[in-house]
Amino acid sequence: MKLHRLPPILALVLVSCATPKKTTPATTSSGSAAGAAKAPASGGTDALDDYGDTVVVSDPLEPLNRATFAFNDKFYKWVMTPISKTYTTLFPKPVRKSIDNAYENVKFPVRFVNSGLQGKFGRAGKEAQKFGVNTVAGVGGLFKVSDKIDSLKDVPAEDTGQTLATWGMGHGPYVVVPLMGPMTVREGIGSAGDYFLNPINWGFAFRGDADDWAWIPPAGNTIRSMPGQLDLYKATTENAIDPYTAVRSTYIQNRNSSAAE
Amino acid sequence: MNRRPFIAMILAAPLVTRGAAAEEAQAALRSTIDEVLTIANRASSRSALANSVRSVLERRVSFETMTRRAVGVGWKQFSSAQQSKASSLFTTLVIRTYSNKFTPGDTASVDYKAATNPASGRVDVPTTVVYRGSRYAVTYRMEQMSGWKIADVVIEGVSLVANYRSQLDASFKQGGAEAVIRSLEQSVARPS
Repeated sequence: MKLHRLPPILALVLVSCATPKKTTPATTSSGSAAGAAKAPASGGTDALDDYGDTVVVSDPLEPLNRATFAFNDKFYKWVMTPISKTYTTLFPKPVRKSIDNAYENVKFPVRFVNSGLQGKFGRAGKEAQKFGVNTVAGVGGLFKVSDKIDSLKDVPAEDTGQTLATWGMGHGPYVVVPLMGPMTVREGIGSAGDYFLNPINWGFAFRGDADDWAWIPPAGNTIRSMPGQLDLYKATTENAIDPYTAVRSTYIQNRNSSAAE
Repeated sequence: MNRRPFIAMILAAPLVTRGAAAEEAQAALRSTIDEVLTIANRASSRSALANSVRSVLERRVSFETMTRRAVGVGWKQFSSAQQSKASSLFTTLVIRTYSNKFTPGDTASVDYKAATNPASGRVDVPTTVVYRGSRYAVTYRMEQMSGWKIADVVIEGVSLVANYRSQLDASFKQGGAEAVIRSLEQSVARPS
């Protein structure tokens, strides 16, 4: 799944408060500035820093974050996994796929508005086409018809965190949020923006009556995204040396690359 | 007058070479992925897949380069015995990580996009992997050694080498080469 599509509850993975947009593939020449400091040009070991530069984010709360991370790990295992298992047992895969497609389709304003705010008008236009095609030909978004159209199948999904990055805002400190997982200050603000741009939250956010039907769409969204998020969490941690660092590095790298594209 | 095409040819030569490199690298990647997918589509279980895919990957992936970069600057302080030990442990870990991404019975397909040539001897091949109805952006970083080999895999912007480096760097700072090898051993020993 596209990591940047994950809703805030467990948005899992991404570096650096000073450099919001890291240019990823360093060329031999530009890599050498950072490389020279770390790896003296002793010839033998080639430009170690060209690839896989350690991704850095400010983590002043690391001890607390590690404790929260350990708590979340248990929460995912003992609470979320059973809920997710129940959901995947009740709903067969094609049905779940259509539910995912519909939720992603409805989230259109998040991608459309943020493409526009970043001045990517071509991309905003493609998002509008995608929304039209999937809503009409895809029966209200249940089928992702746009995946069959070359110009529409790989449109990078924009969100508010990426808009803030494009505007020059750094990550700020890294925080592991209880239940929700990895986040930075910027991405937290971004998630709040995404929340209000996503129509599924409008009933709840703007009418605020919890006895109403309004809680159903966001709750459904939380449940339907659990299997994907748990898979991602497992994939990130299972062969890790230090799961905490692995998740932090993955999260920051992913967010930086989304912001850059 | 007739020299012009000739001059143009000389000027264009580096571009042509680059294009050829990109093509060669992409061809090497394609044949690797085809081989892996054939195996993956036949495999009955993940452990069987990991075993049968290992020989292909060992030929096509430069695990030595990956390990060196994943360890980072500390690498030069490893003895050669430590280097080969770390390399073999890391190889096992990477192959396991990689084969865990496949579920027997689900087939993947790969769309190749135009390769780029970030530096001489290096080619990045961006692809989209379509797997279980989702599309993933996967870039393969190839390097020219004895033939073109895979030196890093970047999935949705996340570099495998960078990810391990952030972890191994901490081990190295704590206890040098021995600590790196110990933490690799622990990860390999942990049941996947």
